[in-house]
Amino acid sequence: MIMAKAKTNLRNWVFGLPALLLVLLFIVVPYLNIVVMSFRNTSMSAPYAPGFTFDNYTRVLGDLYYLVLLRDTLFFALLTTVLCFVLAFPVAFHLARTKSRFQGLLYAGVLSPLLTGVVIRCFGWIVLLSNNGIVNQLLAYGGLGPYRLMYNHTGVTIALVHVFLPFMILPIMNSVQAIDPRLEEAARTLGASRTSVFRRVLLPLTLPGIQSGVILVFVLSASAYVIPLLLGQGQVQTVPTIVVQQLLGSFLWPFGAALALTLSVSVLFLVSTFALSTIRSMRRLA
Amino acid sequence: MSRLTIHELTKAFMAFVAVKDVNLEVADGEFLSLLGPSGCGKTTTLRCVAGLEDPTSGKILFGDKDVTHLPPERRHIGMVFQNYALFPHMTVVENVKFGLDMKGITGAEAQRRMTSVMEMVQLSHLQDRHPRQLSGGQQQRVALARALVIEPTLLLLDEPLANLDAKLREEMRFFIRSLQQRVGITTLYVTHDQAESMTMSDRIVVMFGGYIHQVGSPQDIYFRPATKEVANFIGHSNLLPGKVLDEHDGIVSVQTAFGVVQSRALQKWKSGSPVTVMVRPETLRLTAGSYPNALPGRIVAQHFLGNIVDYRVALADDTMVMIQSLGGQTHATGDAINVIVDPEKTWLLP
Repeated sequence: MIMAKAKTNLRNWVFGLPALLLVLLFIVVPYLNIVVMSFRNTSMSAPYAPGFTFDNYTRVLGDLYYLVLLRDTLFFALLTTVLCFVLAFPVAFHLARTKSRFQGLLYAGVLSPLLTGVVIRCFGWIVLLSNNGIVNQLLAYGGLGPYRLMYNHTGVTIALVHVFLPFMILPIMNSVQAIDPRLEEAARTLGASRTSVFRRVLLPLTLPGIQSGVILVFVLSASAYVIPLLLGQGQVQTVPTIVVQQLLGSFLWPFGAALALTLSVSVLFLVSTFALSTIRSMRRLA
Repeated sequence: MSRLTIHELTKAFMAFVAVKDVNLEVADGEFLSLLGPSGCGKTTTLRCVAGLEDPTSGKILFGDKDVTHLPPERRHIGMVFQNYALFPHMTVVENVKFGLDMKGITGAEAQRRMTSVMEMVQLSHLQDRHPRQLSGGQQQRVALARALVIEPTLLLLDEPLANLDAKLREEMRFFIRSLQQRVGITTLYVTHDQAESMTMSDRIVVMFGGYIHQVGSPQDIYFRPATKEVANFIGHSNLLPGKVLDEHDGIVSVQTAFGVVQSRALQKWKSGSPVTVMVRPETLRLTAGSYPNALPGRIVAQHFLGNIVDYRVALADDTMVMIQSLGGQTHATGDAINVIVDPEKTWLLP
């Protein structure tokens, strides 16, 4: 028995090895490199100067500009997440339960934002949202507007919600599909109204899906770069856009690394706080 | 007055008609089972009573109250599902208490009912477990407690024992029946297992293809089936086709391809009309000697089942009949044999 178990363990290790190596080589090593870089001294003529320092972090955490930038980045990531959730939940629910013969087509529709490249998609939004874009032209017919939908957080958030919606819909849909429809029926026969069924049965049981959706969308939105760049046209700054500016524009690798890591740690902190606060209700479902 | 009346109930799903013109009256405190093969419309009928399906036409009344278009949460019923449908994120107590919460029953009354129902299903010691930590039989009892605690007017059970192993299933039959009698609740029980419906029910409704074929006591259904389908579905039966020859003193002689079979008849049969004689395997006897009106045959196979021996006998025209007799084997495969039919233990079907 023990031998057989050891053998299976060994085999699992062997099969996992290529993936493990890939992760080590292309994720862990570069990440460590960034950590080391963030403690380097700044140099004007090379990527970094000899010696180590905390200066990069004191600059990030001591400058109100960067703190406000960090707060805004996290706030708009949170806003994107909330909007995604509100929009995704009914869709996920319908998709999970529909018996329509167009189900496959509906799935494809959900995934459609991911079918085009991010740059093309952004230009699409520019056509729609710019000051004399299609949306404002239509609003003008109704005597409204024009509204400023681009070059600000509104446009960026719209585009982020659009592209990250599938990451919210799919996990929620999965957990709805795992719920036996008879649970709803049982609740109804016990006197629960539709609202009570939702609140007491469906919502708690979709929590695992909501959790993964929320984490995915939040992390992706906080680290989005191309969308804020293209739809913000320099008017919207987020931590990722500033980091790239530092790295490529100012060539301040150590400072850029420190800024990037500050964002990573903040996101990690928020995500784990969220995960811990929902873990109790999760454990009951495990 | 009947507790439940189903009047001309029809339910169609698109082009498929699942239930056709079902009429049924269930008396107060009665245990009625809906029996039939899968797809016969028994579950659909139950779901219409529960309010989980909207009938295409017809009426459902609880007492004299028309509930046909009432949503399930306003019907005050208790329902137990085949897979129990316990809420996985709630403990046993929370599951059982759910109905009381929904109906706004709190305080001392809720406490009294919880204690009594948990004791009734013998689950008090497991109340803080989650459903996945319970065995099938325990989950089943939680489901029963959850349905009964709201003191419903009607208890609906949809194949509640189908997921249990054979031994437990037998135990639960008696448990459910005695619980039902103690509470005195009118019960509608859906099953495809004839032994289950036989042992538990006051009356059985046998359904095929959306229609009711027979409503009657377990004895009626077994000894006096209304149709060939019922005769075939309930227990084993030999169906012997033939033509009525004549009738003397209530005994009808039927000409078959393998000889004349005599049968006691409760009604008049016109001579020459086609008829099917139903004989249960355990009422047939085998003899090596001669016997008046016996049918000659040959033993083709035999299976020793312990308490009984199961014979297959080929009659004169190779019609196979099944015969069950008690005790040790006395006949061997290949033996020429006479089959004795007791006219009092046969039943004629049109």
